[in-house]
Amino acid sequence: MTELLAVRDLAVAYANGTVHAVDGANLTLRRGGMLGLVGESGCGKTTLARALMGVLPGGARITRGEARLDGTDLVALAPAERRARLWRDLAFVPQTAMSALDPVYRLRDQMREVLCDRGGLSRAEADMRAAELFEAVGLHPRRLADYPHQFSGGMRQRAAIALALALRPKLVIADEPVTALDVIVQRQVLDTFRSLSAELGLSAIIVTHDISVVAYLCDQVAVMYAGRVVEHGPTDAVLEQPSHPYTMGLMNAFPDLESDEAVLAPIEGSPPPLSDPPPGCRFAPRCPFAEAICTREVPPPVTLAPDHWSACHRAPEAAALRQRARDPLTWRDVAEAAA
Amino acid sequence: MSTTLEQPLVAAYGLTKHYPVGRSLRQALRGERPVLRAVDGVDLALRPGESVGLVGESGSGKTTIGRLLLKLTEPSAGQVAFEGEDLGRLSRSATLRFRQRAQLVFQNPFDALNPRFSIGRTLTEPLSNTGVPKVEHADRVAESLRHVHLGDPARVLERMPHQLSGGQLQRVVLARALVLRPRFLVADEPVSMLDVSVRAGILNLLRELRDTLGLTTLAISHDLTLVRYVCERTLVMYLGKVVEDGPTAQIIAKPAHPYTRALIRAVPRPYVDQPRDALPLHGALGDAASLATGCRLRNRCPHAFDRCAAETPPLAEIAPGHRVACHLHTT
Repeated sequence: MTELLAVRDLAVAYANGTVHAVDGANLTLRRGGMLGLVGESGCGKTTLARALMGVLPGGARITRGEARLDGTDLVALAPAERRARLWRDLAFVPQTAMSALDPVYRLRDQMREVLCDRGGLSRAEADMRAAELFEAVGLHPRRLADYPHQFSGGMRQRAAIALALALRPKLVIADEPVTALDVIVQRQVLDTFRSLSAELGLSAIIVTHDISVVAYLCDQVAVMYAGRVVEHGPTDAVLEQPSHPYTMGLMNAFPDLESDEAVLAPIEGSPPPLSDPPPGCRFAPRCPFAEAICTREVPPPVTLAPDHWSACHRAPEAAALRQRARDPLTWRDVAEAAA
Repeated sequence: MSTTLEQPLVAAYGLTKHYPVGRSLRQALRGERPVLRAVDGVDLALRPGESVGLVGESGSGKTTIGRLLLKLTEPSAGQVAFEGEDLGRLSRSATLRFRQRAQLVFQNPFDALNPRFSIGRTLTEPLSNTGVPKVEHADRVAESLRHVHLGDPARVLERMPHQLSGGQLQRVVLARALVLRPRFLVADEPVSMLDVSVRAGILNLLRELRDTLGLTTLAISHDLTLVRYVCERTLVMYLGKVVEDGPTAQIIAKPAHPYTRALIRAVPRPYVDQPRDALPLHGALGDAASLATGCRLRNRCPHAFDRCAAETPPLAEIAPGHRVACHLHTT
């Protein structure tokens, strides 16, 4: 099991450094792995993905930390050098495929642009490779002659995945790749990723708010809260034995199709403003298990098992906390204390 | 159809909504006027106090049904009755009365509220608009805020929408619908814009309102897990038709229509050990503008046989309160 990507203490600031959308994020991805990066809106997951891609919006910049892809620190590279690595080392699948595809060109021409201009292939080679790529994502190569608007939503998303895979990148980052899709089409796109992982050994980061998507697709998961990764580990361990109170809360708040008896428990309150985050653990104000130390000191990652860590001061007691977290009343008490 | 003789609160008969779509030159020369059959001959009845989920993919017509039942758009054919009265023949004053009794909860709380109105004004406005005496306003607003558990009313009333979180805003949107003491509530994707941790609170609230206020609710959603949590009964739509209707628990455990089966199997589950086999359905969603006769799913259905192309399957009862539109179930 070799490490492909290692992100250490990465921070991204907006607005002249007054708002840290990502503030000390840690992440690892092994070669051939599928990592789910989950969190709620505003937690910094998209900013983190964009920082890795080197496509942060204007006004945002990386202020510290490193992101090593195959040993090379992407943060230390000059912008031109980073751009040169797009498509080849890293490729991106955005949430709405329409923004990855150019509406006025046929898919074949868009494939040629990447494969010939960036990949140095001849036209004939490019067309052959494009046909292979379409087949790999379950589209008929004949559809390469079509314009993006002639595709349905799910097919467009698969075409965007095919384009991202064009130069056999080491890593694909997909930002909410199935969020805008209906459930049956969503399943088809998820299965496309699954077969690419099984057959081509694709390494990918799937950014999503949906734990079920991670459970279906990913072997590793990183849970983000207020700009930091709070828990990281194998998907089954994190979802079945959540060890950070935020992950425990998320699992309680998530309805499942079959368990109608269970009562959902919301996590009361809202995430802190990133312009003025609380000292210590950022989840402490909403956490039913917070102690004095939690509001003072930033919790370091505590290793619970190989590859599984939780950034919680009480991580060693996780099993006992998990028991208490299953009771919806545990979470209601925090709301009453806050009110 | 109903197991009781009680009059339905809301009923639709042959409800149809067609929208004109662009036509080709050939169609124009032939004088053809192609239509998109958004809703195509739907019969349904909601009993008082029932909470019903309406599920389907985008383009299935579920939002159009919600709008038709609320008289926000007029049907192309068929009719809607509310408390036994035909919505198409309401007098002006009866329409106003209907608008108080039937309310819509919007999908996006960030868009649904006027950003320049305080929460107090947002909640009072429907009362003034419908002529509720001013002396009652404060009590009615406080009552609706209590229903949605928005904490200390005195503190909330002066807030502006931007000072509230998404979950609090969705509670205000619900309170605004409840302030007129409606009998019927249509909630179109009520939590789709909210984060998971907040969503649970709104889902619990919808359950509670169902139990305590005796409201008749129609929750429109693409999300089966939501409907499973909030609604006793579920209607499944495919391309303008209701294809299955029955108790939610029964539909999830034993879906009878091939489309419902695929829909349920397609929902990813929040644990690793879950089925990942191929869906029993092929191809993509059909096109509601070009529909021939017969079952609309037949080109995607693994069980289709000759009768499916020849006859449109009617919605027929297969168990008490459980109806399915599929020839596999008609003998």
